[in-house]
Amino acid sequence: MTAERIFVVGPPVRAAIFGAYLAARWLRPGRCLEIAVEGESECSSDFLTRPNVHHFHHELGLPIEQFMRQCGGTLAFSTPVETALGVVRLPFTQFGVPRAGVGFHHYLMRADNLSDQPDLNQFSLSLELEQAGSDQTLSQLAKLPIEFGLTVNREAYAKTLLSFAATNGAKVVHGEADPGNVDLVVDCRVSDALPTWSAQAMTTGAVGAFAGIEWHVMSSAVKRLVNLAAPLADCLPEQAEWTRLARAEQERIADMEELLMADDLDVVARSTLQRKLDVFSACGRIPIEDYEVFAAPEWIAAFRAQGVNPARYDRMADALPRAELLSWIAQLKVQISGLTEQVRTA
Amino acid sequence: MTCRQIKRVVIAGGGTAGWMAAAAFAKVIVPAGISVTLVESEAIGTVGVGEATIPPITKFNTMLGINEHEFVKETQATYKLGIEFVDWGGLGERYFHPFGRFGFDLEGVDFHQYWSRLRALGDPHELEQYSLNSRAAYAGKFLRPEPDHGMVIEQLSYAHHFDATLYAAFLRRFAEKRGVKRIEGKIGRIEQDGESGLITELVLDNENRIEGDLFIDCTGFRGMLIDGVMGSRHLDWSHWLPCNRAVAVACEKHSDPVPYTRSTAREAGWQWRIPLQHRTGNGHVFCDEYLSAEQAEEILLKNLDGAPISDPNHLRFRTGHREHFWSGNCIAIGLASGFLEPLESTSIHLIQTGIAKLIALFPQTTSAQVEQAEYNRLMTDDFVHVRDFLIMHYKATARDDTSFWDYVRNMEIPDSLKGKLALIRSHGRFFKYDAELFDVTSWIAVAQGQGIGPIGFNPIAGGLTDENLRQSLNNMRNAYAKAVEAMPTHQGFIDRYCKSSPSPVATEVS
Repeated sequence: MTAERIFVVGPPVRAAIFGAYLAARWLRPGRCLEIAVEGESECSSDFLTRPNVHHFHHELGLPIEQFMRQCGGTLAFSTPVETALGVVRLPFTQFGVPRAGVGFHHYLMRADNLSDQPDLNQFSLSLELEQAGSDQTLSQLAKLPIEFGLTVNREAYAKTLLSFAATNGAKVVHGEADPGNVDLVVDCRVSDALPTWSAQAMTTGAVGAFAGIEWHVMSSAVKRLVNLAAPLADCLPEQAEWTRLARAEQERIADMEELLMADDLDVVARSTLQRKLDVFSACGRIPIEDYEVFAAPEWIAAFRAQGVNPARYDRMADALPRAELLSWIAQLKVQISGLTEQVRTA
Repeated sequence: MTCRQIKRVVIAGGGTAGWMAAAAFAKVIVPAGISVTLVESEAIGTVGVGEATIPPITKFNTMLGINEHEFVKETQATYKLGIEFVDWGGLGERYFHPFGRFGFDLEGVDFHQYWSRLRALGDPHELEQYSLNSRAAYAGKFLRPEPDHGMVIEQLSYAHHFDATLYAAFLRRFAEKRGVKRIEGKIGRIEQDGESGLITELVLDNENRIEGDLFIDCTGFRGMLIDGVMGSRHLDWSHWLPCNRAVAVACEKHSDPVPYTRSTAREAGWQWRIPLQHRTGNGHVFCDEYLSAEQAEEILLKNLDGAPISDPNHLRFRTGHREHFWSGNCIAIGLASGFLEPLESTSIHLIQTGIAKLIALFPQTTSAQVEQAEYNRLMTDDFVHVRDFLIMHYKATARDDTSFWDYVRNMEIPDSLKGKLALIRSHGRFFKYDAELFDVTSWIAVAQGQGIGPIGFNPIAGGLTDENLRQSLNNMRNAYAKAVEAMPTHQGFIDRYCKSSPSPVATEVS
């Protein structure tokens, strides 16, 4: 039986994410993996990974604490996005606490109609912790109901993952390399081409316009490949499915990019974004498409940054008696401030 | 008439859909200051859309705050762990579609991939051996999983069989106690605003007028409001799901009820058997292009477990759904919104999901185009996902003994299903859409059971040595066997916690 061979080529961090996961999850006796790292080592800029980085590294078997030390990692609670309106932060954790299936922002909107309330952002533990500014530790966050990613040093991250891949049996080469006779060439180079897996070639496509997307696209592309991996010589349905899923994901990212970069939301090109815009404006809900990348709080923050607010709150929020509503919201504010202060001064 | 605030909701029609909507509204809409009125007539019979359910029904009941034992007692209910399919893949074959899941995933890889690999090594154990639900069902066992039962029992997932008429009555008491007003009467005509076309009131035969702002059409197949007034047309799927008639009959139970539904494929359709505490529900779903109603009834009566205790009830239906589930200020729920044959017990679920979506998008005023569009999109997706799963049952068959099976085996299927089947067939891959009801367990169970199971397996399931793999799967089978051994019988569980009073007059629904 001939060995199956995958050749991964691309800039350091992209090739490293793809290659490390393949090394951990796909590489076995009888299979070969070569990672060709192109270009000089990358600058020591920050590199944002989204909250599912924890699961990704768990699957690799890389303890997160050790990994943070090696890559100079700090905790990240939101995605910062440069827009024409300034920096917009998309929090990873929900605003407040939902109740009876109704999002917190509906209750706050109702309460605000009754008496002045603090801004919604003050009910985001993510944004409050980020604003608090000090370097929180993993142990401090262990008991908090919060999602977080990591900001790492790009160069150190690439090196760590490439070293991990090499330790797990991948051949890592720097500079140009000839793939030779392989079953699959994964091209991780940045390009405008749509993500595609066809015959013996896979392209992962564009980077994305803001932080966190590059990591997300590369990690989900390789996970998808591993989940779909069939004998590489015979996998037409799997190729079609990989392509479909990767493109669906790109569509969801494009929705968010258009929202954040739009000068005029009256002229929205994407129908799926238009639907989100319509439904959120009308009743404050976020319609979910298949294979969403961004969670509800990120969409809410993005809409608010663009000045889009719901015309009304969910009527189910009326089910809570007025006095109970106001007291609950006041208590929640105190709790969030208390938690933030506790972490800041620890 | 300009747009109005929604302060009054009127539900047209009782039955399962009407009273499920009323109960849910009583719980969440009435406390928000909105009145809810239900109009129904005892003179009009209801078509319960199914006595068998799927696990989300337990969430609906929990959301209402219903005590499960009380509900089981009051509705002559039994527990359901899945569906046995007989003669579907080929004559003489059978398989079980369980709720819950198969086995335990290993190293982040779906269990069934390891099972496929072991089969490729010549291991004879069927997939069902790795489903707690399947094993418990065939052993006639049941135990409601509690948090301290451990990770094996935790896999048990269940739904119910119940008498839909009794369920409607149970929910009626629940709703009326919480402020829903019931009005007895037959709807004579429906008044609309001349300018906007919105429904303004229902006028009963006795000239009683029921005004409202939002109208829920639960009038069954007729769709008196959604079709008769709003003109939302029916999108027909009979070319994919050609069965268009059913005949139902209840029979005496001949033994303790089993905790599963049975679906047996017949010459031009299929027959259901639903065991309740007091009787067994039966029905024959068929296509009248291939079988007459008389023949269908004869086949049904010939294949009962006990003596019939009701007259056969004949029904006609068309598979498909309304183009607009929500039109103007009218929302169709239940049979008025569409129908997919009850092969996978999804009818009550589609009622439930319609209610949940309406509550989530509940409008402020009668002008709610955005909410309406979103509701219609979501409900269409639900129907399409269930449709594809049902079509698979017909398409994936080797039966060639009748013209009906020749037709469904050779029919063109939707592209959305083609892609799924190709993936499952090649290496057992399955990717669920976000809003999709049936998950990998369901698709693999039916595909494998009907002979289009995976040819290969995911190579990353090659991580364990052959010996380790055999040992791991052997351990799982032993764990399931022990768990089933320790469980009480289904009847024993019912006797202890939720036995119904002796049967009232038998009622037949399908």
